[in-house]
Amino acid sequence: MEHSFANYMKCMNANVKSDAERNNGTMTNLLVIKEQLIRIYARFEAYITPVLKFFLMLFSLIIINRNIGFMNKIKNPAIVLIVALLSTFLPLNVMILLAAAFIILHMYALSLECAAVVGLVFLLMFVLYFRFTPKDSVAVLLTPICFALKIPYVIPLSMGFVGGPLSCISVSCGVVVYYILNYVKNNSEQLVGSEDAENALSGFKYVIDSLIKNDTMFLMVIAFSITVILVYMIRRLSINYSWQIALGAGAIINLLVILIGSVSMDTDISIPGVIFGLFVSVLFVLVLQFFVFNVNYSRTEYVQFEDDEYYYYVKAIPKLSMEAPQVRVKRINPQKNPHRN
Amino acid sequence: MLNQERIRLMTKMAAFEEIEGKKDISVNGYFRGDYISFQVLKSAIYATFGFAVALLMYIIYDLETFLTDFYKMDIVAFCHDVLIRYVAVVVVYVLISYFVYSYRYNKARRHIRNYGAQLRELHEMYERERQK
Repeated sequence: MEHSFANYMKCMNANVKSDAERNNGTMTNLLVIKEQLIRIYARFEAYITPVLKFFLMLFSLIIINRNIGFMNKIKNPAIVLIVALLSTFLPLNVMILLAAAFIILHMYALSLECAAVVGLVFLLMFVLYFRFTPKDSVAVLLTPICFALKIPYVIPLSMGFVGGPLSCISVSCGVVVYYILNYVKNNSEQLVGSEDAENALSGFKYVIDSLIKNDTMFLMVIAFSITVILVYMIRRLSINYSWQIALGAGAIINLLVILIGSVSMDTDISIPGVIFGLFVSVLFVLVLQFFVFNVNYSRTEYVQFEDDEYYYYVKAIPKLSMEAPQVRVKRINPQKNPHRN
Repeated sequence: MLNQERIRLMTKMAAFEEIEGKKDISVNGYFRGDYISFQVLKSAIYATFGFAVALLMYIIYDLETFLTDFYKMDIVAFCHDVLIRYVAVVVVYVLISYFVYSYRYNKARRHIRNYGAQLRELHEMYERERQK
């Protein structure tokens, strides 16, 4: 009998147990849940993605309206719902443009110079962002949101796993967006527009000053960029537990840079707040690592091709790919090979 | 007569063509020098645009002093200053782009080389079947 390579591989694979069968207890349950999630996602991806986009846009718009909702016309829930529904079938980058438009409209309701500054700063950031990392749209949308939720460190730690070294650009853009909006929100009374051109110019100056002279913001940009790059470099190493080490190292370097920076630049960052936020973020990213990053969330693929004899319509359903491929070497008793004598 | 292994290979190749391959194939369509210089040129244009926006913001920021000092100011020195900063910004942008896009080009080449190997393997499979 011909010991073909295919048969040999089938024998090997039959002996490799899946992770879920090997371990017991809660780990099994978690892995089972994870397998279910992957299966559900693989089957229903076409429906899940639009729903997620809808909620992302809805959430972003609600946060925008709540914090800097100066234009009452677009705070109308009907408009928010319509825009969120639109974004279900719009590409993510268009969603970012829509959110930016919302923000600029609110700024315009406050004063012309606010809209001008925010618009120009956005323009500057888009120039950087669209050139190098146009796929990191989620990072740009989520960074300000995570800042508002007090867990900003989730973003740089996650982008090190999900993105590349250039993701520090998109994360930095998100940080700048947050700080500029935060400033406007906190100083909205002073920035209200007036007819006086001189006031307008000084308003312009105030907002730009809030960025240029904002040591905290620069510190965060530097800390987050270093974190993203470090996490990316470590997780790519082919050592065991590289992901966990990357996460830990990223959190530590993030804390270190913020500590050193806040001491040397004398900023008023509450260090306990940073530590707590980092801690929560690390936990969150651990969960994400388990359920989201680890998996090649492949979807059901439909491909067509033909050859001389047949047309092929193939539906490829992804198998469940488990965590870090565990190569188990099973020793096989050498069988009597009839070819060898 | 359906050869499972061949179908598996063809499916993998078709899936590659549909999704990741599209970008790789389009990148590979350029010569390396052409691709990188095209991307670097695009970056330079973006950098120029960004610099113009930043310059505009700088002027508006200090518009009062700018307008009042306009006649006292040494315009040549100012332009000289602006030009130096412009060149510095563009150089940095171009350098980063050069490395990023040459890395991307190499990656695309690698993928296409794998794809080519798969094509050859497919061809061999057909040959083998024809001989049987």
